[in-house]
Amino acid sequence: MTAYITGVGWVSASGMGYGSNYANFSMKKGPLPDISRKDVFTEPYKAFGRMDKFSKIGLTAIAFALRDAGLEKWSEKRNIGTIASTFYGCLNTDISYYDTVIPEEGALSSPGLFAYTLPNCFLGEACICFGMTGTGFVINEQSSYGLKGLETVIESIEYMEHEIMLCGFCETACPSNFEVVRETDEDISGSLFFVLEKKISDNRENYGEVNCNENNDVLFNNTVVSDLCMLAEKCLENNSD
Amino acid sequence: MNKVYVVDTEVVTGLGRSVEETWKKLVAGKTAFKPVTRFATDNYNSNLAAIIEEINPSDGKSLIHPLIEKITSCLPRVPAGTRIITATTKAGIDNLEKLVRGNSSGPSDVSLSSISEIVSKKIGLDDHGINVSAACASATIAVAKGASLIASGKAESVLVFCIDIISEFVFSGFSAMNAMSEKSAMPFDKNRSGLTLGEGAASILMMNREAAVKNRFPILGTVSGWGAANDATHITAPARDGCGLINAIGKSLKLANITERDIAAVNAHGTGTVHNDMMELTAFKEVFAGRRVPVNSFKGSLGHTLGAAGGIEVVMGLEVLSEQLLPPTVGLSEPEELAEGMVSSVPVEISGNYLLSTNSGFSGINAAIVLKRGEA
Repeated sequence: MTAYITGVGWVSASGMGYGSNYANFSMKKGPLPDISRKDVFTEPYKAFGRMDKFSKIGLTAIAFALRDAGLEKWSEKRNIGTIASTFYGCLNTDISYYDTVIPEEGALSSPGLFAYTLPNCFLGEACICFGMTGTGFVINEQSSYGLKGLETVIESIEYMEHEIMLCGFCETACPSNFEVVRETDEDISGSLFFVLEKKISDNRENYGEVNCNENNDVLFNNTVVSDLCMLAEKCLENNSD
Repeated sequence: MNKVYVVDTEVVTGLGRSVEETWKKLVAGKTAFKPVTRFATDNYNSNLAAIIEEINPSDGKSLIHPLIEKITSCLPRVPAGTRIITATTKAGIDNLEKLVRGNSSGPSDVSLSSISEIVSKKIGLDDHGINVSAACASATIAVAKGASLIASGKAESVLVFCIDIISEFVFSGFSAMNAMSEKSAMPFDKNRSGLTLGEGAASILMMNREAAVKNRFPILGTVSGWGAANDATHITAPARDGCGLINAIGKSLKLANITERDIAAVNAHGTGTVHNDMMELTAFKEVFAGRRVPVNSFKGSLGHTLGAAGGIEVVMGLEVLSEQLLPPTVGLSEPEELAEGMVSSVPVEISGNYLLSTNSGFSGINAAIVLKRGEA
């Protein structure tokens, strides 16, 4: 089964963007930018201001990936699914929320913060913002960023559940006393999302084909990729040709 | 596509430490709700939850450890090569509470992927697995993902393990959102006013036919269909018209290759919140075209076990099909108008091969599973 990558969007310490402004692409760890609504949307979007940072960076990368794929605008809800990977998830928001519980033994607990203490909440925000009604969940894995999510997306496209899906990861910096040893050496903060489509019309631009071989390796244009950052680099390399 | 057989189930809930004990008490209309003593509840709008009293923290470890141990110690030999998928909303969140308060505790239990790590090590699997996080539909989607791996031939055997615990973190949050009932939850009742939390864990071992026969497992039932959909309406409230749930149920029926007329009963999410229950009834009215299909909720008995709920409900759903008996909806006194003739405060005999199990959660996610009786 082959799917076509039609959009790439990201937020990282190096900046944020999507396919056509690929020059600043890097997912290396560092302080993430504070994102305002105007960085992402030209029209007012009231919900953006109340979101936690994890949701803002995740939603922004999804918005940019959809824009890159020409799918940002919509009039009727669409069967687009989303699978995101994360290790630390919304841990910073969890801590901020629990800080509101401690002072008055729970009497001042913040419902606004509690609403963002699930790592899949930003997927809900993206569904509302872009009218997406497909399946949506977060995968927490120890190993390389996002490849199990990508395998799941390809499988979902193969079995007809969706013709368009988003796949990516979202990660904010981990608080120092919560650091957990991971199986992977990667240390990444930011958010990176791809749009994958089952079919594209003849004249529609795309970055290339992605599929899984019988060993469950993920291939991009017949080359094995080891994680989603490498996949983005390969896509954007093609774009610069 | 390969058929997906359930060959072993284990469960620990506030009501019982095994499938049999939990089932008997569900049928008898018992509830596990007790006053919470694990933390102070004076400032919350309830002090009730379905607590598993004998799990206690030790050595700075999270409560997830004794609960995981209770399930894994009952598991049969899980074949090598089995894939593992876990489901939880907050894993060892009790350790985050300790760390934020400056108490000694290990951070590793806080990460959501810790569950699959711990379970896979305990039962000696090579696969370290993944955790699915989809709010209160986490376990339902984990079962769907596992079933999909077997159906597509990508796995012969998949273990789904789901767990969530009662913590001050979650208790305070639902209280702050005014989502908890001051009294016990009353799913589908006219006077319902919110949910009551619960804790629990379950495991569901699924295989294709060849693996089940080769490893001499009995076939308890079949996962025939699954589907998930977002209602794209609000992150903490369901769409009033039930559009997401209708969509998810439609996908699950299509995959099972059956129609709504084949469904003998529905085990609903039925949290007891005003909006969730009304959304579900609205969706069922649409899906079943007015047929008064028997519907129940376990959450008046077991509490809302969040990310574990869908898994516990699949386990109990297989018992429903096996016994052809739908346990009562505990807490129900005066059914909501749309629920009249569908929900019951006493056990209801059913007749048929298919059960629909549904869950919905924060972020607008909805998920549905179609279970089939035995090998039929």
